[in-house]
Amino acid sequence: MAAGIQARPVMGDPWPAVLPALGLILLFFAVPILATFGRSLFPEGADGPTLSNYVAFAAEAHLVDALVRSLLLGMAAVAVGTILSWPLAYFLAFVAPRGARFALLLLMIAPFWTSFTIRAFAWQLVLADGGLIAFGLGRITGEPVALGFLYTFAASAFGLGLFAAMLMTLTLHAAMAGIEPRLLEASAALGGRPLATFRNVVLPLALPAWVTGATLSYIVAVGDYAVPTLLGGGFKPVLAQVMISTIKGTYDLSVAATQAVMLMGLVVAGAVPLALVRFRGRRA
Amino acid sequence: MRLAATPGGRAALWSLFAAVVAVIYLPIVTMVVFSFNGSRFQTLPFRRATLDWYRRIAADPQYVEGLANSLAVAGAAAGAATALAFACAYGLVRGRFPGRSVVLALVCAPVAVPLVLVGLSLRVYALSLGLAPSMPLVVLGETIYVLPLAVLTLRNRIADIPLAREEAAWSLGASRPRAILDVVLPAAAPAFVASFILCFTFAFDEFVIAYFLTNFEILLSTKIWTTLVTGFDPTVNAVGTLVLVVSLALGVTAQLVGRLGSRRESRG
Repeated sequence: MAAGIQARPVMGDPWPAVLPALGLILLFFAVPILATFGRSLFPEGADGPTLSNYVAFAAEAHLVDALVRSLLLGMAAVAVGTILSWPLAYFLAFVAPRGARFALLLLMIAPFWTSFTIRAFAWQLVLADGGLIAFGLGRITGEPVALGFLYTFAASAFGLGLFAAMLMTLTLHAAMAGIEPRLLEASAALGGRPLATFRNVVLPLALPAWVTGATLSYIVAVGDYAVPTLLGGGFKPVLAQVMISTIKGTYDLSVAATQAVMLMGLVVAGAVPLALVRFRGRRA
Repeated sequence: MRLAATPGGRAALWSLFAAVVAVIYLPIVTMVVFSFNGSRFQTLPFRRATLDWYRRIAADPQYVEGLANSLAVAGAAAGAATALAFACAYGLVRGRFPGRSVVLALVCAPVAVPLVLVGLSLRVYALSLGLAPSMPLVVLGETIYVLPLAVLTLRNRIADIPLAREEAAWSLGASRPRAILDVVLPAAAPAFVASFILCFTFAFDEFVIAYFLTNFEILLSTKIWTTLVTGFDPTVNAVGTLVLVVSLALGVTAQLVGRLGSRRESRG
């Protein structure tokens, strides 16, 4: 590009800058995934495209159960995350001492920088029947305690719910930290009590950030494999676990691809209503 | 701010925060303590303190090889993603072209797809192209996985750099690439470092995509996973503690460096 005196605020041809990343995504992400989707229509031995894999999926009770379990897990994680993250983000943005806010935020999110797998495993140490809590309770009551919590759906929801709480606190906090303090002062000056100020000022301004955090949490929870395996156990698997055992067991790709499409369907089914919340929030 | 909550509300919020932090750290502290536990079994009470599990890791060739492979993969993926993302983010910030939001959505799309699906699809696709699972393929997979993170980190930062600085460089005769190198890159350096570190930690820990794209090669993340699901081995506590300490240090550094960058900008 030639040197010149006149300003060039707009990049004449941005494609050389954008294309390498875009090409990588198209070639090694978008195309493979579309190919996987396509594969679900071609069961082994079929002459042409058929929906027989989907019919078989719907007829298998344990597959439908796994689908429902994944959906519930996604929703449970968002619910736990929502309940915890609004007060936590509000605390970090407005209530905690100004000088300590960043340190407190870091204290809360730092553990989440480390491996998902290792954190889930560490929860096993605490929640297992011979683990920390059972041991502690046993000492207090004087008799052995079996928690029966590890390897349940509730344990998965707990693990992913905590993750969602962290993620949503992060996005909500970013939005709340950007709110002009003067808006809160104005609301208080007009006689708004803290709860009214929250409802009229903070809630509408932070709602889009809630949608972002909730969507990301939902996607992670619905498709996760590590937490459901380590905390939920194998007897009542979610769809991602079923998919991996399909691949390991039968190596029938078209069947695994069908499960993959259903999983992606769950992601879309959750993300669309959340996107609508954001859209309506913006219009209002 | 006194307007934000009533005294009772403040106390409730403080308690909630303290409780959540306690719950988050409880398993982590437990794991660290167990990594020094002399008992072969994962049960309390604590036996004598030992460093045996750490010695075992150092003596286990699979852990050593896995660690070396994981460092290489995470470094390569973080470097590739950050470089690609910088160019892409610059184009997205300074370019005005139809389909800009579509490009942004596409490069961020990996966030919206479950990892099992990313891994499976890439494996099948690579095999159909005649590419066997291998370390370079893992690097490719992890680069895709962390690319959205890098694009978003860098895009926000580049958008904060005043165009006037680049214009000043142009008026002094610099070409656009020259101005990017001399003006944009130094200004975005903290975000660059933050992006690299974040991508590195995420790629280092990721095991689902890695699991699909390897046959016999060992990564630390996949080795930890197989150890966890194939029966109990107390070395996992020690490995977990090491990974935890390093990831925490890297994550906190990334946050501090990123913050440093935005601070300096808002002052200057």
